[in-house]
Amino acid sequence: MSKIIEVRNFTKAYGDQLAVDNISFDVDEGSVFAFLGPNGAGKTTTINTLCTILEKTSGSLKIAGHDVNADKAKVRRDIGIVFQESTLDSNLTVEENLALHCDFYNVPKEEVRERIGFALDLVGLLDWQKAMVKSLSGGMKRRVEIARGLVHFPKVLFLDEPTTGLDPQTRANIWDYICTVQKQKNMTIFMTTHYMDEAEICDKVAIIDHGKIVAFDTPSHLKRMHTSDIVKIKTSDGIGLQEYLRKNGIAFSEKDNVFIVQSGSITATLELLSRWKDSIIDFEVHKGTLNDVFIAITGKEIRK
Amino acid sequence: MRAIKAILLRNLTAFSRDKMRFFFTLFMSGFFLFIFSFVMKAAATGIAAPMNYLISGIIIMTVFQSALNNSMNIIEDVASGFMKEIMVAPIARWQISLGQIASATVISVLQGMLIVIIGLFIGLKLDLFHFIMMGVVMVVVGVTFASIGLYLATLSKNSSTFQVMISVIAMPLTFLSGAYIPTTVLPGFLRPVIYLNPLTYTTSAFRSIALEMDGMTEAAMLHNGTAFDIGGFIVTPHIALTIVVLIGILFFSLCVQRFNRADFSQVKVFHRRHR
Repeated sequence: MSKIIEVRNFTKAYGDQLAVDNISFDVDEGSVFAFLGPNGAGKTTTINTLCTILEKTSGSLKIAGHDVNADKAKVRRDIGIVFQESTLDSNLTVEENLALHCDFYNVPKEEVRERIGFALDLVGLLDWQKAMVKSLSGGMKRRVEIARGLVHFPKVLFLDEPTTGLDPQTRANIWDYICTVQKQKNMTIFMTTHYMDEAEICDKVAIIDHGKIVAFDTPSHLKRMHTSDIVKIKTSDGIGLQEYLRKNGIAFSEKDNVFIVQSGSITATLELLSRWKDSIIDFEVHKGTLNDVFIAITGKEIRK
Repeated sequence: MRAIKAILLRNLTAFSRDKMRFFFTLFMSGFFLFIFSFVMKAAATGIAAPMNYLISGIIIMTVFQSALNNSMNIIEDVASGFMKEIMVAPIARWQISLGQIASATVISVLQGMLIVIIGLFIGLKLDLFHFIMMGVVMVVVGVTFASIGLYLATLSKNSSTFQVMISVIAMPLTFLSGAYIPTTVLPGFLRPVIYLNPLTYTTSAFRSIALEMDGMTEAAMLHNGTAFDIGGFIVTPHIALTIVVLIGILFFSLCVQRFNRADFSQVKVFHRRHR
């Protein structure tokens, strides 16, 4: 698979404050990639530099083979961006905003109407074409921004915290739209988020903290490496289970015959449950999440 | 070309939808027209066609202010976030500047023309040739001051103090340009300021057309304040217009240069207001 984004030894300093500290990574073409990390970790700085609106301090950043600093015009043509904050013109209608965008990105005139229709249909706003942007709700505006980011069919779509401040249902919908178009157009998605659960859909994630990449892998591999399943068991044979866990060296805690057991793998969990199935009154299995990965790696809860 | 046209149309659409702003700019010009044409008439003694003299000053100040304010509107685009959409688009930076300047010029010339038309009803006398000439000079002045406004806007770090700053600077420059009060009646110690003020040359070039002074002698032009004797060098309205054009070219190049390196992400916005 070819690399669409190549970042080498990228550093960005504001005065003597290092926002991004010598990071390197690649993103495969057609993949969904997420930058995870707390606010102020350097996510937006990296995105803004890749989007050509911020100058790097040192290092090299390339998108589709073009240097982001030397070849700005070519890079700009290949990317679409949904910024953290609204960048719509609220005095224009939804359709006018998208048409303006098509003019900026030189979308063939005969395709403009069709593409606007496609993009708005994707985010479910086809009926709102003629509405003034300022009359829309926050979630709808976000969807317009996403539609606008897609309308020129970019090779890479950057999404900087696309769902911050939205309700859970809208958040879920927005991810549906994004995934649909990503598959349809084989687009590369580069996103940042501090909602760990949203990163689960990604092919690869990079965890960034204090300007450094502290982990770079697939979500499932990260979870396997850094988390264990938690099995909560309520039993009628507390003494027997306790003895068994001690003998096998399995970490656990116990209160009133309710055991919280750390299990290394699914096989181990199944074995434990089948062995004690006669005395188990109730059980729950918690899979490790990316949030657990984050805590395990950085030693702290994600700061929101 | 397509991007320039798109920016131009977008700004004109925004302007046409902002009815209050349009009303207030018109109101301001109308107010000045009323005050100066009736109250200040006495100050223009000794000048042939006093109404042409006064109204031409008001017209050109309207064009100046409108061009400056409308090109500075990008501050509001920065505040609303829309500027980022423009900055990441694959448009050459000079095209962004040109689109912005073109729209500010169109709006300011339209406003100027409106004052000309109102002026015709209250005593402004013009033939078609001079009307067209006025239009041409309005475009030149519009482009120049839109460039200056855009350049200043790219320098701003803070939208609300910036707007106050511009009003504070624009006010004395307006009054020291001869547009409302003839420069010949202003005290001599203000001369250096008057000669450094780009508005002085703007007013001079425009007024000479309004007064139909095509064949006038230098001495007569010096007398009515459309030509200036700066240390023996006579600045005629033609030279004045050239100065305005040069200032325009200078600031347009500065704008493009600024846009190439502009980082609008640092602009602080405390509140938005209408101008």
